[in-house]
Amino acid sequence: MNYSGTALNERTQRVASSALLWIVLGLLVIVPVVTFLLTAFSPRMFHLGPQWISFHSFREAFQGSTGQGIADSLWVSSAVGLCASAAATALAWLVQRTNMRGSRFISGLMWVQLLIPTWMMTIGWTNLIMPGEVASAFGFNTTRLYHLFYGPVGIMLILTTAALPFCYFVVSAGLRGLGSEFEDAVRVHGGSTVRVLRTVLPIIAPAIMSAFVIAFAESISDFGVAFTLGLNDHFPMATFTLFNAITQNPANFSVAAVIAGVLILCTVPPIFLQSKITRGRSYAVLGGRARPIRRHQFSGVTRNLVTFAVFSVLIALIIIPLVASLATSFTHTISFETVTGVHWSLASYRQVFSPPPSIMSMGAGLALSNHLGLYVATGTVILSYVLATRLARTSGGLSQRITDVFLLGSIAIPGVVLGVGYILFYNQGFIANHVMSLYQTMPLLAMGLMASAVPGQSRLLVGPVSQLQSSMIDAARVHGAARFRAWCSTALPILSRTLTWAWVLTFTKTISELAVAQMLVVPDHEPISVILETTLGTVFAPIGVAATVLVLGEMLGIIGLVLLAYRVVAPRGWRRIGTIGELS
Amino acid sequence: MSQPTHIAIRQVEKVFGPKTALRDISVDIAPGTFVVLLGPSGSGKTTLLRCLAGIERPTSGEILFNDEVVVGASTFVSPDRRHLSMVFQDYALWPHLTVSQNVAFALQRRGSNRDQIAEKVSALLHRLGIDQLASRFPNELSGGEQQRVALARALAAEVGLILFDEPLSNLDADRRESLRIEIATLARESGATVVYITHDQSEAYALADVIGVLSAGTLVQWGTPENVYREPATPFVARFTGLAGELPVHVEHRRDGRADVTLLLDTPVVVRDCPTNTTVGDDATMFVRPSAVQLHHSASGSGFWMNITDSAFVGRGYEHVGVTDGEIRFTKIFSTERFERGSRAWVTLDTQAVYVMNERSA
Repeated sequence: MNYSGTALNERTQRVASSALLWIVLGLLVIVPVVTFLLTAFSPRMFHLGPQWISFHSFREAFQGSTGQGIADSLWVSSAVGLCASAAATALAWLVQRTNMRGSRFISGLMWVQLLIPTWMMTIGWTNLIMPGEVASAFGFNTTRLYHLFYGPVGIMLILTTAALPFCYFVVSAGLRGLGSEFEDAVRVHGGSTVRVLRTVLPIIAPAIMSAFVIAFAESISDFGVAFTLGLNDHFPMATFTLFNAITQNPANFSVAAVIAGVLILCTVPPIFLQSKITRGRSYAVLGGRARPIRRHQFSGVTRNLVTFAVFSVLIALIIIPLVASLATSFTHTISFETVTGVHWSLASYRQVFSPPPSIMSMGAGLALSNHLGLYVATGTVILSYVLATRLARTSGGLSQRITDVFLLGSIAIPGVVLGVGYILFYNQGFIANHVMSLYQTMPLLAMGLMASAVPGQSRLLVGPVSQLQSSMIDAARVHGAARFRAWCSTALPILSRTLTWAWVLTFTKTISELAVAQMLVVPDHEPISVILETTLGTVFAPIGVAATVLVLGEMLGIIGLVLLAYRVVAPRGWRRIGTIGELS
Repeated sequence: MSQPTHIAIRQVEKVFGPKTALRDISVDIAPGTFVVLLGPSGSGKTTLLRCLAGIERPTSGEILFNDEVVVGASTFVSPDRRHLSMVFQDYALWPHLTVSQNVAFALQRRGSNRDQIAEKVSALLHRLGIDQLASRFPNELSGGEQQRVALARALAAEVGLILFDEPLSNLDADRRESLRIEIATLARESGATVVYITHDQSEAYALADVIGVLSAGTLVQWGTPENVYREPATPFVARFTGLAGELPVHVEHRRDGRADVTLLLDTPVVVRDCPTNTTVGDDATMFVRPSAVQLHHSASGSGFWMNITDSAFVGRGYEHVGVTDGEIRFTKIFSTERFERGSRAWVTLDTQAVYVMNERSA
């Protein structure tokens, strides 16, 4: 028997892989963003102002509407985080752990909602309740509702709805892997349903906390809703004031950088809270010994009532505004209801395929976006998985904490900040001429899109990854599998469903991503999101909406194809994970 | 079949942050030996096992398999190259693989072809009485069945070293007993060196050729089960490996490792020819194994009275709990006769199953 030839220094390997990871993250996120943040102190370093060192912008950023914007963003995002994670936990429990009807429909609806950009939901709500639009056509007076909608209420409504699918999938993954023995233990000790919830919820605390922090960070970095709904009612949000600082004439990058820095710092308290709540606890429940789950059985009437209530809320929140936003694609006028009534037409759809000369080719844009989605999704899932495994360690210490803060801080980076950072860093003379000339190239756009996707995806993967028992891989190692084979034969199959969903999600999000795509666009090679945004801002808006509908249809088609491929290709054992032995 | 592994552990230490899990462990394990590492939770036995498996890397020290260094200052052989197999406490069966696929996994490293693997798996499952479960997934099995599959997986590869990480701790008493016998039989049949960890002393006595007792990361005794039972190295070992009770004594005479002692009870009692490591004049403790205590209805020979406080039927007889007049408590006292609760019994001691040592013995 020969044990020689394997004397590798594991510590060196570990340090080298860590270094490589941080170099990749540095080039993707840290360096561009830090470059931008440095402009808060030193505008002259990037030829954006006369001073080498100045703190003037700090005072400016916390005064007037910019200061108000920061405060508004903080409380609105906290409220959205709480509402979305609470609603998602309740919904996930009903779908995963009860006999409520229509669970497949709800999961499907969450996916649809995940694909819909927030600006489209905003258009939908506006089309629905603006006087003279859809609700008016049905005889409703929505004037008061309309004014209420343009302010914190509307912003929270849209952002909570937008964050709901993220939170739902994270919490569902936690619940799916959790056997029913914990519930049974409470039951046999005389615990009520409330007591069961109080026991089980802390067990899936990492998933719930992940949901909260994702919702918080996504909300604090959202721009589309802040721009459309906060503007009219003098309710400034930080991303809007940041955008204003960049786009005003002359641009004030220093103040924008201070706001960006504050947004990133705002994510520290939720992470601190999360680590405080979940510190030192292991959540590894995915393994061979997980017991079957048992669904709570509602009686006939209660079951129907619960189903009706859940469906009503979801239809009101998602389907009605979605239908309202689609309605304009079936008219050939900008407004839904004109003085002569509603004029239904498929003209907008016909014009998508034979557009007027002033509109860019949508076919080429969609093909480009699909290509980008393929590369970005694959790269993102790989990198996010690596990061999630680091975060999932129960004894990661300082390095884990830094990774956690970095990722969550990155979620809170608005796309526009990332875009400006990329331009400032990769367009510098020294970098462009002597290191790598990436500015206005497709690889840089792909990097930017990855940078915007990796933080969120990593956080989404932390829940499922932390549920994988470490003995799964250890067992493969001691039974003769090398590191990579051990991973491929244990972790990959067990997490295959989660990774497939993560890939699909990133792919579709890449297609609809706007902020980074717009700032890093390669001339004459516009992705579909940029083309749609441009079209929607013109008199050809109905064509834009029709094209958006078709793009959403394509995304859903791809999701269907990938999931079908998974069903066909993945071995039976892979597909059983998460549904193993379910007792219905 | 691989040749059984000769293991040499040299001054192994493992530190986790501020906590030292293993201190200066040095031991030689002869090929084909069945070693049981015994110790309470947190004693370091799992850490030592994981260091042998290659799942943990010691902070310092060396581990040699068949005289080749697998862990050293600049050497670390990964688990997959150590030619071993392991039964995990939580079984660690892969939930996406069927029973036969789980077992076959371990055979793939041997480069066998598909037919050979299928044949071998089938034979092994049949040997363990679980061939009817071959196409089931782990979640469709009971705890005992899962443990049998884990055992089959460990035996399948015919390696030179099999590690067991408290494999019976999650099973009920009946299954534990039957699986313990199967492990003893099959592991010895395989000819491999076995390192088995447990916190259950009866399991250790039943299985081991050699027992290593760990306490707070230190190996406090290494010897045969008989040696550990009759001559525990420290009070900790004595207590952890099963006592009926402890009595304060004064050492009167000593010769050839045996002593006459006086039991310091309300009425002092002289007990002759007790094994000891004390010196004359010491005030020490007599550690009394359950098998040393005999109960009588009337006073006969050198002994003392005890009040019986509990009596439990255990099939072949009764186990009693009693308290001396000086409030020293004895448990697990076996007798084929029942002594009723509240009655008094005369106690005599068999000096073959007692050991006298100082509290500070190490």
